[in-house]
Amino acid sequence: MKCFSFALIILLMLGCAPRTRYTWEHYDNHLYGHYKDPAQKERFIEALKEVVNEAEASGKVPPGIYAEYGYVLYEHGNGPMAIQYFQKEAEKWPEARIFMTKMIAIVQKGNKKKEDKTRLDTIDAGAKQINPAPAEVTP
Amino acid sequence: MNRLIAVIIVIILSVLSGCAHRAELNKQEKFLAAAPRSILIVPVVNNSVDITAADYLLSTITIPLAERGYYVFPVNMVKRLLEDDGLADSSLVHSAPASKLANLFGADAVLYITVQQWDAQYMVLSTRVTVALDYQIRDGRTDESLWSNKEKIVYMPDDGGGGGLGGLIAKAIVAAITKGLPNYMPLARQANDKALLTYPGKGIPLGPYATEQKELSPGSRK
Repeated sequence: MKCFSFALIILLMLGCAPRTRYTWEHYDNHLYGHYKDPAQKERFIEALKEVVNEAEASGKVPPGIYAEYGYVLYEHGNGPMAIQYFQKEAEKWPEARIFMTKMIAIVQKGNKKKEDKTRLDTIDAGAKQINPAPAEVTP
Repeated sequence: MNRLIAVIIVIILSVLSGCAHRAELNKQEKFLAAAPRSILIVPVVNNSVDITAADYLLSTITIPLAERGYYVFPVNMVKRLLEDDGLADSSLVHSAPASKLANLFGADAVLYITVQQWDAQYMVLSTRVTVALDYQIRDGRTDESLWSNKEKIVYMPDDGGGGGLGGLIAKAIVAAITKGLPNYMPLARQANDKALLTYPGKGIPLGPYATEQKELSPGSRK
């Protein structure tokens, strides 16, 4: 009986080896939370940061996560850090290279304009936090 | 012995819920011939009365698709960029040629989801949620449809024989509703999983990251 049970377990394990290929850290819940309450932008940025950190710690970084995090950083006015994450995405996933190359060019070109827009957003939101102007990216 | 039985039960449950993909189909010639590596998920078109349906589905579609072995473009980033490009209306995005979208992002294929129905009927002791969804993947070069699927799911908390997973989900929904906020995440996950991963059946074949194991080795790229 015992022997049979073990055989069964091993057979089943072979049948479906990895339960999840990547570490997601409730990425789906964070996304939905963001759509439900778009005003809480900081919370979404923090959540994505945690997904990235946990995924890197486990060595199972999901596709798109670096870019997703990079983009919210860009929207938040942090162009240089956004570029870093777009580069990470492109290095890890060859399928993302065309897209990330475009994005990096957009950030480098539009950094100035976006910066002003973000500052306006911050003022609207009550200017609670100090948002230093991101350093100009030197190509 | 008890522990062993528990382990077996857990394993069997996990097999039942996630590993129906053992038997591959040969119904998927077009998809297999195109062999997309990367899939762009565009914002969901919502024809239902529930305004949150699209958000639920868009939030939950990435995980099953990526776990299936494809590179999936970051859905929120894509959504935001399309909005900035004047394509905030997802039906406009859906009517644009797939090749145009794919070209914009460098994607091999584009996945479209349309919510046809998402009705919750609240009764005294139970809730019935009826969901009807259309899925389609189109080739990023030829615009040809590579795969499509229609899902219609009815969730009922008290449908006699325990209700299985659907029953559990419906119960969770009812529990959430009593607290004032319906949580459809389990339902959306279930619908997307069912549409993509049902094998043998109508799901999509395994992608490159599921078949090329070497791509998985952690730390091989930094």
